[in-house]
Amino acid sequence: MPTTTEKRASTEATERKGWFRALYGRAGLSASVLAVLVPVALLAPLVAGEFSTVVGVEILILGLFALSFNLIYGYMGQISFGQAAFFGLGAYATALVCRAFQASTGEIGYFQFFFALFLAIPVSALGALVVGFFLVRLTGIYFAILSLAFGELLFYLVFSWYGFTGGDDGIQGILSPPFFRNSINYYYFTLGVVAAAMVIIWRITQSPFGYTLRMLRDNQRRAAFVGINVRRAMLLNFVIAGVFAGIAGSLWAPFQRSVSPALLGWMQSGSPVFMTLIGGADFFAGPLVGSMIYTALNAYVTRYTVFWPLTIGSIILVIVLFFPGGILSIIDSRLSGSSRKAEEPGRSGSPELANDRAVK
Amino acid sequence: MKTKILEVSGLNKSFGGLHATRNLDFALSEGDLDAIIGPNGAGKSTFFNLLTGYHRPDSGSILFNGENIAGRLPHEITRMGISRAFQISNIFPKMTAFHNVRSAVQAQMGLAFSLFRSADKSGNEQTEEVLSLCGLIEKREAMAGALSQGDKKKLELAIALAGKPKLLLLDEPTAGMSLEETQETMALVDHLNRDRNITVLFTEHDLSVVFNHARNITLLHYGRIIIQGTPDQVRMNETAQKVYFGEQY
Repeated sequence: MPTTTEKRASTEATERKGWFRALYGRAGLSASVLAVLVPVALLAPLVAGEFSTVVGVEILILGLFALSFNLIYGYMGQISFGQAAFFGLGAYATALVCRAFQASTGEIGYFQFFFALFLAIPVSALGALVVGFFLVRLTGIYFAILSLAFGELLFYLVFSWYGFTGGDDGIQGILSPPFFRNSINYYYFTLGVVAAAMVIIWRITQSPFGYTLRMLRDNQRRAAFVGINVRRAMLLNFVIAGVFAGIAGSLWAPFQRSVSPALLGWMQSGSPVFMTLIGGADFFAGPLVGSMIYTALNAYVTRYTVFWPLTIGSIILVIVLFFPGGILSIIDSRLSGSSRKAEEPGRSGSPELANDRAVK
Repeated sequence: MKTKILEVSGLNKSFGGLHATRNLDFALSEGDLDAIIGPNGAGKSTFFNLLTGYHRPDSGSILFNGENIAGRLPHEITRMGISRAFQISNIFPKMTAFHNVRSAVQAQMGLAFSLFRSADKSGNEQTEEVLSLCGLIEKREAMAGALSQGDKKKLELAIALAGKPKLLLLDEPTAGMSLEETQETMALVDHLNRDRNITVLFTEHDLSVVFNHARNITLLHYGRIIIQGTPDQVRMNETAQKVYFGEQY
């Protein structure tokens, strides 16, 4: 989402060289990156093996999860450390419905399967509505901590409710209809859903409501004096983000064929934070790029070493210390020729929390 | 007799032991261009905060076009037609000047919660008009946080104007501005008041600005009204001279 200045500034760079540069000059970095990624995503499973296709599905699902997180972080300026709660709610909703259908026939039909996936939307929306009702009264570190607390609350609820959720055993053996058991088919299905979700998220970020979110990010107090009902706007965005996290979760359950309470836990909530920081919170495509790096590293590094947490920790450290805008901001500044110019110039720089109550 | 746009009576507000607003009675008629003056801590900003819903009054009523708005929330009051520009520029630093104003315009149009239309398709003309009016059209694509102090104040005013206010409250509109910018800004305020029929109430430390532009002046001291009147009446008042003007006037 480039502003006109950025476009103008980079049209000069366009003359220099390269079709990517030309595209970048016209459409901005996110669109250019996505233009490169779409054919890659379409062709990848045809050339890559089974394992890479599975990794591809993970990248897409977790990428959508991270995009939902960035609606709250990059666009609204608050940090949610409990986003996995809605991912988990979506996953459990789908898993429970699938299990119920399977129990009667031992199989699951296509319509039943889609119904199970769809049910993640109202369930995660309702969860986000209840949590959000309390959360939007706070900002900054308080928002972050309360989101963590609610996330853990939902985690323990699922963890200890044996009769309904299976407790820490989770739910095993979730079936999908025959067509989706092939990982390549499931990959393309996921790609379609994630792409559609991304189009909707993109539209939202470019809508008047998207700009309302940016106002909240920059200056909540002033937003109120422009006539914005701040809490209502935050709540709506929190529910939207929760729904997309829930959709991601619903895709996850039949893909993994099992769900466990860990899907709602704080470790799971950390991954979209990492992905967004790696990719770049100031860019629409940042969380997706972050998911590519994080998920692929996770998949391939763990083949060779047990030190995955150490590896990812070091990467985060380097990015936060030396490239605080994430990978895309490095590319962006190289292409635009200026030191630092974000598409969504909200959060670049240090990841400090905005707390305008401190500034009176 | 012109219609009253604002009628404040018996307004009180305390913060702990500090009685910041004491039994304030105040009125504005449609088309007024009035000023509130007073030393630091006199309660000028508190008064604005009460009028715009940032603080809830302890007691008293605030009638805006006959409707009591005391205790209403800032966004409700803004939507009713009271806009406010802040003393220390209070803008959206990581958005362009254009997006600062357009987002406020779209909020005024009732689009703040519109999810699926493109933001680029509404409010552009009004945004450009407001930016031109405030002398910012050249800097429309500049990041608001990178503007000069004076331009930030202009943007502050532009955001307030985007709300199409009937009553405009300006908290030291020229603070931090050069002499030239001060003149431009006050000429704009005069124009808004005269030609666009916006009622204006402003606070200001620069007394030449106050005496040259305000038609009525209210002097506040320790949350209380010392005197209300025309510039000449206020200038001649002995108490006013003692508490505020000193030897200057």
